[in-house]
Amino acid sequence: MKLKLLSPVLVLAALGVAFSAQAHDPKEHMKDAENPNCAAMKDMDHSKMDMNDPVMQAMMKQCMKDMHHDDDSHAMSHDDTSDEDHKEGSGEQHSEHQH
Amino acid sequence: MPSLTAFIKSLFIATVIGLVGAGLFIYSGLYPIGADVPHNKLSYWLLETLRERSIARAASGIQIPDNLNTSDRLLAGGADYNDMCAGCHLKPGKKESDFTIGLYPSPPKLTATADNHGHKHGGGSGMDEDENNAAIQRQFWIIKHGIKASGMPAWGPTHSDERIWNMVAFLQRLPTLSEDQYQILTSRGNATETHDH
Repeated sequence: MKLKLLSPVLVLAALGVAFSAQAHDPKEHMKDAENPNCAAMKDMDHSKMDMNDPVMQAMMKQCMKDMHHDDDSHAMSHDDTSDEDHKEGSGEQHSEHQH
Repeated sequence: MPSLTAFIKSLFIATVIGLVGAGLFIYSGLYPIGADVPHNKLSYWLLETLRERSIARAASGIQIPDNLNTSDRLLAGGADYNDMCAGCHLKPGKKESDFTIGLYPSPPKLTATADNHGHKHGGGSGMDEDENNAAIQRQFWIIKHGIKASGMPAWGPTHSDERIWNMVAFLQRLPTLSEDQYQILTSRGNATETHDH
């Protein structure tokens, strides 16, 4: 009788542990994910930006698609493959777009 | 002249009286345990010294990754910091929250530079390499193990060491970030989704 009661309790405890672990998955945070405000980068002082600085590089990674999207809308000359090429390239190319 | 035996007897009696007095005080419930009443100086010193010595000893052997200062770590750690830590430890442009006001001890403002608050942390000016490494080890240990009765949880049971190192990497740069930089680095969303076409 005790064993019969024990198994549902164990199952519930295991489920609890599984769900609590799942809640800490980054994907769970995507529900309320905020988009990066890449427009703010355009107002920053570009002369003070160091492209070797990991902070700058991280911002470029976050806003790369956004910035190329802007370029596409103005020049209509980039295709998806060149966009991917730029992702692997240095941040300096992207900074030039901004100047 | 009192003998050694008399001295030991006196010491024993004084110790027993001290222990009984401490026990009575604990059971009397007279100590104000509410978070809105600060510790007295003795309690504060005892707890702070206990905490700092314990962390320093436990964190001293932690191996710091060579690649801590990378953009990938900043992006991964920044998003986690914003979701898990910013409520208590603040973000650029925010000076206080319900947690910084209500918790005791008040959570450290990790947006402040090391020079602007009491203890040292990585990236502070005037720190040599050993002090800087000790500060980084300290941050990793605290995030992973938490601190008893302080409101700081242990993130180790639910987060990998690598994920915790990403947060430590982000903390090294957090005091230098502007509000705009923080927003961009910590967003999990996709930038292109902001466009309506």
